[in-house]
Amino acid sequence: MKITFYGRLADAVGRELDLAVEEPCTIARLRQRIAASFPAAAGLLEDRRVRACVMDELVPDDHRIEGTEAVEFLAPVSGG
Amino acid sequence: MSIIACLQESPLDPRDELGTLLEQAAGEGAVVSFVGVARPANKDGDPIESLVLEHHPTLTRRSLEDIANAAARRFEVSHVRVVHRCGEIPAGNPVVFAGAASSHRRAAFDVANYLMDRLKTEAVLWKREQGPAGSTWIEPTDADYRECGRWG
Repeated sequence: MKITFYGRLADAVGRELDLAVEEPCTIARLRQRIAASFPAAAGLLEDRRVRACVMDELVPDDHRIEGTEAVEFLAPVSGG
Repeated sequence: MSIIACLQESPLDPRDELGTLLEQAAGEGAVVSFVGVARPANKDGDPIESLVLEHHPTLTRRSLEDIANAAARRFEVSHVRVVHRCGEIPAGNPVVFAGAASSHRRAAFDVANYLMDRLKTEAVLWKREQGPAGSTWIEPTDADYRECGRWG
């Protein structure tokens, strides 16, 4: 599964990650998986402001990931 | 009624944006605009050379449109105009233009405030300051979230 990171998360994990995910898996579980592999990103991945996105839609932590889905994690956003 | 929400990598000229808004707003009684400019120093006074705004291929534009549309629905205004830069912006250059036109001044002022409060905390952009000391991510402060929260 391709996982893309934006903002500060990309510094901690890298822009993209290819991860084998065993199903069933939720966004919450995926956060834990990534945090275990990238301790520097663990605190940020627990931040509720970090949102997950599947097919250009924001999804909640209990979203169940299908095998072919790509997931994006968005660090806290800020414009203006 | 016009609602414009643009994301652009090219330089932003606030004079052009205000000129266009004024033309569109012919006949209205109030035009209010705000221009956000990349600061030449951070909160500690250290120099900043540029502001880098990373964006998402689809969500960023959509977030700008959502915010502009919400402003138009919420307030009695005839025109809403948001233009946001992305990419690398040298210090001193405009980052965002937020403007509105209405029959009376209050609604146009409110829209400018509303747009900026929501853009600060909800526009899907990631912002970092670059200077001689390196690069620092900028995220909304507690005050920014409070300011946005007052709109309910």
